[in-house]
Amino acid sequence: MDTKKPNRLLIVIIIAAVLLIAGVAAAIVIIMGAETDVVKGTHSHSAPEPVTGAKVEAKDGFVQVAESDTYRLYYYEPQFSIRLENKKTGAVLDSTVSDEKDDGKNNASWTAYMKSGIVINAIIGTLNTYQVDMNTVKNEISTWYIDNGIYAKIHFKGNYYFELGVEVKLEGDDLIVRIPDESIKENKENTYISTVSLFPFLGYTYLDEQNGYMLVPDGNGALIYLDNKEGRYTTGFSGLIYGIDDGMTNHTSVSTIWEHYETVTEANKVIAPVFGMTHLDDKLGYLGIVESGDERCSVEVVPNGVMVDYNRCFAKFLLRDVYVQPLNQSNSGTVPAVEKDRQHSDLTVRYCLLSDDAANYSGMANAYRRYLLDSGKLVQRDTGYRTRVDFLGTEREAFLMGTTAVTMTTTGQASDILAELRGLGVNNVLSVFKGWQNGGLYDVPVSSFGADGSIGGNSGIKNFVKTQADLGSKVYLYDDALMVNADTHSTTYNVMKMVNKRTFKNETHGQVYDMFYYLMPGRSLTDLAHLTKDLNGAGIGNIALSGITETLFSYSSKGNFYSRTDTMDIYEDAVSAAGEMCGVVTETPNAFLWKYSEAMLDMPLSSSDYLYLDREIPFLSMVFKGIVPTYSEYVNFEANKQENFLRMVEAGVYPSFYITAEDSSKLIYTNSSDLYSLEYASYRDTIAEYDSALRAVAEKVGTACITKHEILDSGLVKVTYDNGVTIYVNYTGSAQSDGDLTVDALSYTVKAGE
Amino acid sequence: MQKLKRLAAALLTAVLICITLSVSAYADTPYVTYTINGYGQIRQTQTAYLAHATITKFGEASLASPSDICLADDGLIYIADSGNKRIVVGNAEGELVRTVGEGTLKNPRGVFVTADGSIYVADRDAGKIFIFGSDGQLTGEYGKPASPLYGDEVSFLPIKIVVNNAGIMFAVCESNTNGIVEISPTDGGTFLGYFGTNYAATNLTTIIYRMILTDEQRAKMVSNIPATPTNLTIDEKGLIYTVTRGNRNDTLKRLNIAGTNMIHNTDGTYADTPTSVAAGNHDNVYVADQQGYIFEYNNEGEMIFVFGGPDDGTQRVGLSTMVSGIAVDSNDRIYVLDSDKAQVQVYQPTEFTNLLHSALYLYSKGRYTEAKEPLTSILKMNSMFDYANKAMGRCYFREENYGEAMRYARLAKDYSGYSDAYWEIRNVWLKNNIITVILVIAAIFVVIKIIKVLDKKKQILGRPRAFAGKLRENRFADNFCYAFRFMKKPADTAYGIAAEGREGWLMPSLMLLIFMIEFIISKYTCGFLMKTVMDGRYEILSDIGAIIAVVAAVTACTYLVCTINEGEGTVKKIYTAICYSLTPYIIFMPLNYVLSHVLTNNEIFLTTMLSVLTYGWIAVIAFVGLKEVNNFTVGQTVKVILLTLFAALILALLIFIIYVLWAQVFGFIGALVGEGVYRLGY
Repeated sequence: MDTKKPNRLLIVIIIAAVLLIAGVAAAIVIIMGAETDVVKGTHSHSAPEPVTGAKVEAKDGFVQVAESDTYRLYYYEPQFSIRLENKKTGAVLDSTVSDEKDDGKNNASWTAYMKSGIVINAIIGTLNTYQVDMNTVKNEISTWYIDNGIYAKIHFKGNYYFELGVEVKLEGDDLIVRIPDESIKENKENTYISTVSLFPFLGYTYLDEQNGYMLVPDGNGALIYLDNKEGRYTTGFSGLIYGIDDGMTNHTSVSTIWEHYETVTEANKVIAPVFGMTHLDDKLGYLGIVESGDERCSVEVVPNGVMVDYNRCFAKFLLRDVYVQPLNQSNSGTVPAVEKDRQHSDLTVRYCLLSDDAANYSGMANAYRRYLLDSGKLVQRDTGYRTRVDFLGTEREAFLMGTTAVTMTTTGQASDILAELRGLGVNNVLSVFKGWQNGGLYDVPVSSFGADGSIGGNSGIKNFVKTQADLGSKVYLYDDALMVNADTHSTTYNVMKMVNKRTFKNETHGQVYDMFYYLMPGRSLTDLAHLTKDLNGAGIGNIALSGITETLFSYSSKGNFYSRTDTMDIYEDAVSAAGEMCGVVTETPNAFLWKYSEAMLDMPLSSSDYLYLDREIPFLSMVFKGIVPTYSEYVNFEANKQENFLRMVEAGVYPSFYITAEDSSKLIYTNSSDLYSLEYASYRDTIAEYDSALRAVAEKVGTACITKHEILDSGLVKVTYDNGVTIYVNYTGSAQSDGDLTVDALSYTVKAGE
Repeated sequence: MQKLKRLAAALLTAVLICITLSVSAYADTPYVTYTINGYGQIRQTQTAYLAHATITKFGEASLASPSDICLADDGLIYIADSGNKRIVVGNAEGELVRTVGEGTLKNPRGVFVTADGSIYVADRDAGKIFIFGSDGQLTGEYGKPASPLYGDEVSFLPIKIVVNNAGIMFAVCESNTNGIVEISPTDGGTFLGYFGTNYAATNLTTIIYRMILTDEQRAKMVSNIPATPTNLTIDEKGLIYTVTRGNRNDTLKRLNIAGTNMIHNTDGTYADTPTSVAAGNHDNVYVADQQGYIFEYNNEGEMIFVFGGPDDGTQRVGLSTMVSGIAVDSNDRIYVLDSDKAQVQVYQPTEFTNLLHSALYLYSKGRYTEAKEPLTSILKMNSMFDYANKAMGRCYFREENYGEAMRYARLAKDYSGYSDAYWEIRNVWLKNNIITVILVIAAIFVVIKIIKVLDKKKQILGRPRAFAGKLRENRFADNFCYAFRFMKKPADTAYGIAAEGREGWLMPSLMLLIFMIEFIISKYTCGFLMKTVMDGRYEILSDIGAIIAVVAAVTACTYLVCTINEGEGTVKKIYTAICYSLTPYIIFMPLNYVLSHVLTNNEIFLTTMLSVLTYGWIAVIAFVGLKEVNNFTVGQTVKVILLTLFAALILALLIFIIYVLWAQVFGFIGALVGEGVYRLGY
């Protein structure tokens, strides 16, 4: 005892010394950092250049403000308009409708909209129907010429008194447009900015003047052709990136038959903050990436005939919204209210300009992949082939006064199933084990490692994971991390309240549990940290996340409001911390979680079937292939199996199955009663077939990326990889050929590279 | 040059079709498909039909408010293009074949094509039925029938038409509530009469209203006249199907030659606003709802699928705005005409639906063993598809595999199928075991006899008898027996309760407990045919609560009413009498329970009879018990019972009023808090 005392003293002294040194160092760094900031500030924001006459005048009053190897950037101050020109071809992308292209058919308000580089939707009082643009609202604009571009300070007067600064810079082939958060000011009481549309007409075309298409981030990806739509459509695509905000709007069913059954399915969420425009005749286009502010921004892709006859796509940032504040329990008395604070983040869109051979959707995918890798938003993962075989462990059904276990697959049965599959050639799988936790699939949230006794308990699951790992398969335990079941867990302090301070409720038509809530993001974080630490300790190093990976909301807590940015930051922390403890795979993850995912699950292979979409393309698959493995939605519930299979071949997506040892009719009285076809016996042969066919394709492709995706005139789809391998897929009902190669009807061919 | 142009146009169309087809062919559907299970619950299932293609134009011909669609045997599509006053004939590829009736038609609302290619058009504004030859030439027309039977006052506004093989026309006319107008082509149009008339629904309320209202008030009421059918179709056998809006269980009718409806389905799975009907190729029938829901029914009117739905403005393929017509081709593709979108949406059956249709076909042809194959595939895809379970059970029944038949019938909740299969199984069992059963009964009989004889001679039952006697001295056992004596001699035993101190808390409560246990066991584990709750559903807590609440309420009300009517009963006595009157149930329910497991639908009346007897018995002894306990006359007892019922009603009302008032108070407090939350920002 005594001998230790001096030791301790020594340690304390050393620690104190280290702290002192560190503190001094930190102070120096902070001071220096502040100084650099100051320098930067003066450099970019208040360069005292005069506004006019400084740069070379070009036609239509546009002045050239920047130039790169391939492009020139022009600027026209009165409309805050920009023009991008390909130096070689002279082709341009305009951001406002020029007088010569104005068809003169539109009302004053739309004409003003079309000719403004920035359009704000304002809220006065609680009414959000005011359009603020450069033409109809009195404004003052001052421009500073900076390296590679401009910085403009726009001051809207009239009834509004909004101020904002926009920085437009041409960096190589990228145009970066940024509105710094601190530059946005709302100077008049009760007058707020609701949305900011940045260059809503950038790269517009009139009717079918130009061949080409726009990229829609729906599902895996889709295109709207720039042909004449003859006024067939009343709306275009408008999708809030990362899905609608459950904290702002109540979930309402789209349509119900007999006032109870929802018949219309939810459309896909926008998981990638991108949009794009390509002029095929001019061989010029761009991919727009919302770099910041994406957490509360919608992508708008509008074909001609919707209000005006121009095709256009753009990012619309949402800063503040009007919500409904109920005044009593029955919701019979409500008042509209405006959010107290606006969204705080820089609003940045990066336009990757594409010319020549890159001016198409393959070019967009390549540019996006490059951007993601360069910026670290996506990291290289092991993309080796695995078939995904998920298991449903245990569910609950009502019994006497409580519930009883309905055990569908024990860990022993799962082991046997995988062993039998191995005998059929399915050597290594990725398996997500759902319903493993004590109390079954819907006993959520899960905050510690405790497996249900009916599937074999903790030891059963540990053994299962370990044996499978030794055999080369990966087992992930499933965790939603978002939902709270009101019947199994307390909902007093930990559930999410909407901005109107009412608890968010997710009503399901479940047989056993019918009310679910969302966890507060902070609780999701701690629960997940706990669970992953437990799993790590138990030697189960893998977790499959859903819920928090595909949801984003604003919320209120104890009188404070939290934005989607807060939720995004917490979720990112949660998933990255989980990634340090375990291997993480995620279900349809939002873009900010991509870099933490070893694999992406439930990747949609098709669009939401909007009438105005002209073609579906595997855009996201083209981005991910060769970088991160992606897995399809469950094959079980596919109605058209053959075409779905071909889509997997085309997109390089690996197949997924949802399997139970018991018959799925056992689930009829559980919340999973909609899972009508799971039993292994029905799927054994199908799994083996899919595995052998898709494994063969994957082996030929290796770790290559997709460089080109084309739809040939014959209807054949041709996918080219960067190692020279090409895959032809024939969706048509008859054999088709390309050169001397013939592909049978509803079939595919893989051609090795030279 | 002309040729080149046409070629180019054709190529362009082909390319366009390729594009449209390829887009929708592999997309996810924006709608869910539901079916109905054996319990009548609506359940999700595999996508039955995929949105396959959308025809917005036939060649260069756009549609304007089209109102009817008809498919000819050769696959050509005939559309009543009402807005453009013509019939558009096109093919499934969206090519225009010809237009018909331009210049003749005023407002074509219904179109029908016969096997020989004649086109019958119901023109509402012209008030005529026009007939065009397959070449598009007008070959005949029929105006308002001259027959006095038609009615002079009745206008002739044909909106839908079908024609049978004999050339007899059946027309639905707007605002003609007499039924479908049947016209024979002979003598320039002979009116044959009205067909398939709907009847006005008369319910109790209307009858009461009619009795009490004055003539003027009655005149102001919504007139109670039968609804005109909305649409009709004819199948290969010449049977006519009609759909009528707001006709509840008669929404869909299949009319035989005499005009009798042959579908009797009360599932309530009909469209709310049906707009069109089409006969399928497998004895099935399709109904389109104006809002975009599409229903498929089997020949018994049971719903197989419902899918589709209204477009909420997101413009997703396969959702509709305003459906006006439906037709089915020989490949089971469904053509849905949308008058608002002025387009035809084509839906294609999936693998799942094709299997179902082939099973339906084979089953209807009596090829049961073959039908099992597609059924097995269906159940492999969706083991909860009860319709397939039912058909599977029926197939096994035909194959005389009754065990499997019974299993599938139970899965499908097919009570008659289950009963039939069980009858067969029981028959076999009885055949095999009847001797054993008789022997066992005889043996038991003999043993009892022997014991009795021995007892007489050697008193071998002396000790048990002594024990029984001793037991009777035990107060508990004595009370227990007393409870059952109540069943036989209610008057005497009730007197005992009233005057001899046989009332108590323990024994009646025990009786109530036994009653509850038996009630719950029989409710949840009785034979399948008698079962009133879903397999696997348990609501035991609420059962117990309900029984206790009823007994407590009856005791309380009776006591209160009896007290003010000079009754002598105390709460304890009344409670004892009420609980003791449950004893017939305790004795007979086990028997009923056993019977429910061995009887089929043919003999199930036995258990019903037994139940009626038991409850009657309970009522009688409860009445007698109440009378004796309170020392009432019969008249007094009746009065008291009526008063008790009244009291119970008042009590319920009181509870309801208090509930409503409290709800108001809570609502008010909630509103205050809500307002506070809003104003204070917390």
